[in-house]
Amino acid sequence: MNQFLFGLVLLIGLMLPPVARLMESVMIIHMHMQMPMLVIAGFFMAHLFLQRYPQFFNKYNQNGVPGILLFTIIMAYWLLPRTMDEALTIETVEIFKFVSLPFLAGVPLRDSWRRLSKTWKNNVITLFTVVFLGMGWLYIQSNDQLCNNYLVIDQVILGWGFITMAICMVIYLIYIFAVDPSQYE
Amino acid sequence: MIKNRHTSVFCILILVFGLVLFYIGTDGFTAYTAETARVTKLIEEQPVFPEVLMEDSEGRTYSISEFEGKYVFITFIYTGCTTICIKLEENMAQVYDLVPYEYLGEEIVFLSISFDPDRDDPATLDRYKDLFKSDGETWRMARIPEKTQLDSLLNKFGVIVIPDDRGNFAHNSAFYLVDRQGTLVDVMDFTKVTEAANTLRQYVETDKKGE
Repeated sequence: MNQFLFGLVLLIGLMLPPVARLMESVMIIHMHMQMPMLVIAGFFMAHLFLQRYPQFFNKYNQNGVPGILLFTIIMAYWLLPRTMDEALTIETVEIFKFVSLPFLAGVPLRDSWRRLSKTWKNNVITLFTVVFLGMGWLYIQSNDQLCNNYLVIDQVILGWGFITMAICMVIYLIYIFAVDPSQYE
Repeated sequence: MIKNRHTSVFCILILVFGLVLFYIGTDGFTAYTAETARVTKLIEEQPVFPEVLMEDSEGRTYSISEFEGKYVFITFIYTGCTTICIKLEENMAQVYDLVPYEYLGEEIVFLSISFDPDRDDPATLDRYKDLFKSDGETWRMARIPEKTQLDSLLNKFGVIVIPDDRGNFAHNSAFYLVDRQGTLVDVMDFTKVTEAANTLRQYVETDKKGE
């Protein structure tokens, strides 16, 4: 219950108009701080749903694949330059952001991550590494303004943010691949 | 891998949901940036050029009705701009040269509108127009002194202008074509000069055939 409340308070806090406006005024904070925090809020709130409806998750998300698929689709959707712009200019898109990221990405991620096999987990991380490298490259090399609401310089900063995240994930993957924890136990 | 029937059915449902979501979100997989979506929507909606007062490089003031009966080929600029506007105006000059001479001023008027009225007074616009060999008559440069009127026009035509901290503006650029009745009928890629000139010529020629 505590976890659910924590997630809910986080979500409401992020939705407060002054907070939302502040975070959305900088492109990289919009995408790499506000959006992940919304997913995290859903991740915490998932606790309640998993306790209350375990049979639903067991039935429909037995191996975790549907959940991670939904998570990936929602994340990919919010990577489009257009959705970022429209979140700022169209109210329904903004509301969809505050609903979809916690409940359609955060909740299924939590349930799926404990069900997924190791191979699946590594595949998902690899997929996001490749996508982030691609997005980083797109934002850095593009001289055109991809988002009408942000300057090109913000776009380049965001691009390097993507590359940085991708590098972190690569380091993690190398670590997983090279280190066998059982040797140290 | 998937043993449970419900789980596999759910997988397919989610994929369908994803397809629908992306289909709606990108106007049927066509517009991945807000700019593409904006242009498509503008051409569909065909907004009317609002009744705003313009002041041109010679200090004359008028509204869009000054050009009634003529096509108006429009760009949005500010003279302090050192990057994209110059490219935009250079391309506009090329279109100007490509359009048949007898159409200029008769069938088509070129108009560059500044969205920086504080700095772009008639004298500044007059100097700026010479850079691109604009004659101030068949190709005019004007500002909209009244801020609320300027905003109403920018808003209607979907021009987004963001001031940065060095006194410059970031903005989206395109060629806009307003028809003889003052309605926006086309938004063209400003990097495709020949294409834009051909489109212009076609508009005028189609009208002539209709007469």
